[in-house]
Amino acid sequence: MTTLNPAERPPLTPTERGALTHPDVERLSDVNRDVLAILGRPGKGWWLLFALAVAGVGVFFGAWFWQIYRGIGVSGLNGPVGWGVYITTFVFWVGIAHSGTLISAILFLFRAPWRQAVYRLAEAMTVFAVMTAGIFPLIHVGRVWHAYWLVPYPNSRFLWPNFKSPLVWDVFAVTTYFTVSAVFFYLGTVPDIAAARDQAKGLRKKLYNVISLGWRGTDAQWHHFGKAYIFLAALATPLVLSVHSVVSWDFAMSIVPGWHATIFAPYFVAGAIFSGVGMVITLAVPMRKAFGLEAYFTTKHFDALAKLCLLTSLIVLYAYLSEFFMAWYSGEEIERTAFWNRLFGDYWWATWTMLTCNGLVPIMLWFKRVRHSIPALFVISIFINIGMWFERYVIVVTSLHHEYEPWAWGIYRPSITEMSIMVGSFAWFSFWFLLFTRLLPPVAIAELKEVLPPPMRKSATHQEAH
Amino acid sequence: MAHIHVPAKVPVRYLPRSATANMVFGIMVVVGLVSFVIRLGQDPTQAWISYVSNWLFFTSISVGGVIFAVATWLTKAKWNWSLRRVSQSLVSFLPFSFLLLLPMLTLREGYFHWITEMAGDPILQAKSAYLNIPFLLARNVVGAAVLFGLLLYFVYLAIRADVGHTKGAEHGDEARASWRKRLTQGWAGQAEEEVKSYHRMTTVGPPIVLVFALVMSIFSYDWAMGLEPHWFSTMFGPWFFMGGFWGGIASTVLWAMYARTTDKDIANHIGLQQRHDIGKLLFAFTVFWTYLFFSQYIVIWYGKLPWEQAWIITRSAPPWGKYSLMVIFLCFIIPFAGLIGRKPKMNPRILGTFAAVVLTGLWFERYGLIAPSLYHEGDPIFSIWQPLIGLMFLGLWMGSIRWFLTTFPVLQVWQPMVDPETTDAEIRVDEDRGYAAG
Repeated sequence: MTTLNPAERPPLTPTERGALTHPDVERLSDVNRDVLAILGRPGKGWWLLFALAVAGVGVFFGAWFWQIYRGIGVSGLNGPVGWGVYITTFVFWVGIAHSGTLISAILFLFRAPWRQAVYRLAEAMTVFAVMTAGIFPLIHVGRVWHAYWLVPYPNSRFLWPNFKSPLVWDVFAVTTYFTVSAVFFYLGTVPDIAAARDQAKGLRKKLYNVISLGWRGTDAQWHHFGKAYIFLAALATPLVLSVHSVVSWDFAMSIVPGWHATIFAPYFVAGAIFSGVGMVITLAVPMRKAFGLEAYFTTKHFDALAKLCLLTSLIVLYAYLSEFFMAWYSGEEIERTAFWNRLFGDYWWATWTMLTCNGLVPIMLWFKRVRHSIPALFVISIFINIGMWFERYVIVVTSLHHEYEPWAWGIYRPSITEMSIMVGSFAWFSFWFLLFTRLLPPVAIAELKEVLPPPMRKSATHQEAH
Repeated sequence: MAHIHVPAKVPVRYLPRSATANMVFGIMVVVGLVSFVIRLGQDPTQAWISYVSNWLFFTSISVGGVIFAVATWLTKAKWNWSLRRVSQSLVSFLPFSFLLLLPMLTLREGYFHWITEMAGDPILQAKSAYLNIPFLLARNVVGAAVLFGLLLYFVYLAIRADVGHTKGAEHGDEARASWRKRLTQGWAGQAEEEVKSYHRMTTVGPPIVLVFALVMSIFSYDWAMGLEPHWFSTMFGPWFFMGGFWGGIASTVLWAMYARTTDKDIANHIGLQQRHDIGKLLFAFTVFWTYLFFSQYIVIWYGKLPWEQAWIITRSAPPWGKYSLMVIFLCFIIPFAGLIGRKPKMNPRILGTFAAVVLTGLWFERYGLIAPSLYHEGDPIFSIWQPLIGLMFLGLWMGSIRWFLTTFPVLQVWQPMVDPETTDAEIRVDEDRGYAAG
């Protein structure tokens, strides 16, 4: 326990101090210069990644068309496991989407200033993750040309989707979420697009001219912008809870042992935020390096993200433990067997991967040294991504393969088609994300300026402060 | 982003001592105790239902209030600088809560039906590793001791660093001076003490939150969920402890609004910003409580499993249906409608009123977790004995918190304005709009 007198301690370096921006960022114009530089000519690395992403998108759609051509039989889905990798990956991507809205809306309402550096990329991640997730139910239904049956519309035969089905709720939840998060994302970028417009030339200038909606940064515009932003933040906040709750009810409403648990809604929400924040770290670390954003993504931001991961990991761990405890406490043979099977049955490796990645590895985040080490955080965030994919796999597959009737037990093995689509979905996501980093300012210029000293005549502030 | 202004020198202010108030609290305790004894003679089960439900209510909101202080500390919140001490003051009920828990540990077959049912019920026998009296006693005593102890330690650290500032501002009150002397043992100087307290509070905070979730879940399983031993719900623990957290926010509001009426400085510092912000949280957790309630309800309703829906049906069908509806009105509909606007959150009276509605709702809710499970035809749904026995708890709760706020400053004088590690740069930026040299 340190009992040092503050006066006796050695001065802290900027990294240790964890300021919101690095002292090297001195003027407001520095922010424009550094962020808009990202929109310049892409380097070889970007082109390489983009080519890989395009190839992956090819695999994604190729495998999907193969499945459409040959039928759903090319997947490993069959009785008793009718939900497999597709639903797992759907839930995974919806989960990834969550932290974007949490960071942009809830942390905005909570006035947590550290959000400003990462919120733009988190919001973009949200939009692209929902775009990825939304494809999976279409892939999963097999005959994709019938997917519109899920949409309620007036028709001559009075045929409606079954509103009591959580799958229909899902359609509403996910489309609402996509709409709100896309609008929220776009609204926040308008002032920054205008900043980019003022520097751009040629075709880019024309594009930014249109999508910056005539932004000039007048008082009236800022006033309306502020109002709109806070209203949307308030509207988006309940969505953070509701969307993944509805996704969790896809499972919990049924009476399948391992799915039917009352804690599912908050448990899924916490898990979603956990995985989403993990993904923000995974994306922010390379971006920081590639685009020279060290001055903007400081230790403080990563420390806060890591703490958020730690908190949500503990909530998820509480949910795991209470599920195991309740399965035992229920005294019901079926419940007990289901959870015993989860731990020691055919899919034990998936369960233990999930427990290790989501429960054990994040324990390291208790230590400040780990939270302040960017390489360590990057590695942990990869573990979190893997763990959270496996969590959904465990929930979906282990529960279905070992339900009530012993004669109906069975093993599910994902086919190459399914795995290609799953891997391809990461490419599809990266494709959009890579485009985003080059087309829109990936860091919020206007908000970063809020923590900088305002310009003064004769730059008096700087002379005194340094 | 709103900038929170924390004054460089926070005034030392106490609630005034009042013999009348102490007498009223004393009378409440005596009336409650006598009522409990009388009721125990008439109908022991009903008496204990009232006792346990009141204990759960007052304990959960007190623990929740301190956890609110811990949570805002860990998130480095500055807006509630003038409310920190009010939230911390709820810790003063916890020693009484521990003492009040001890008689509950003598309860056997009359309260825990699983004791008698276990002999002929294989499902209950399968749970006997958890449902047995020695383990129940051990986990409740140890759990309460650890949780309450940690919370007391947290608040002790917060007060200890204040003591240097209160010297000479105690208005010659001997009790205050004697507590100051007691707390200054091993005093290392103001600046060192502040750094030390800051570090220790930040270190002990996260484990406290973990222990809170665990111990409160155990309380809810043992004293409420286990009364219908075939029923189980993974949501029950979180629903219970987040309700307590919400009640802690409501209690902070009520005590803060009361403290405002006693002193001009307190009234000024628990200002528009503080009221608006804590009002927003009170509103947010109203929605959150309802979310947890609904998420549990809909899964059970939809699943329609016989052993699972029994608990809900007991509470939604006659004779308890209307009671449950009232709880939903008090815990959700009224505070939701009342607090949705901006003005009600800022107006101290309206805010206080809705906080009182929330607490009343939660008080009924805690009773509703227990009483229907032990209900037999002919029992009263609700009788005057419930609030009468509650007076004992209310008197102790109000008396202990009032004592705390008369003995220690109502506004935490020491404010972590210079976070030794992370916020110093931020604060300097706020103050002189420039950067502190690294």
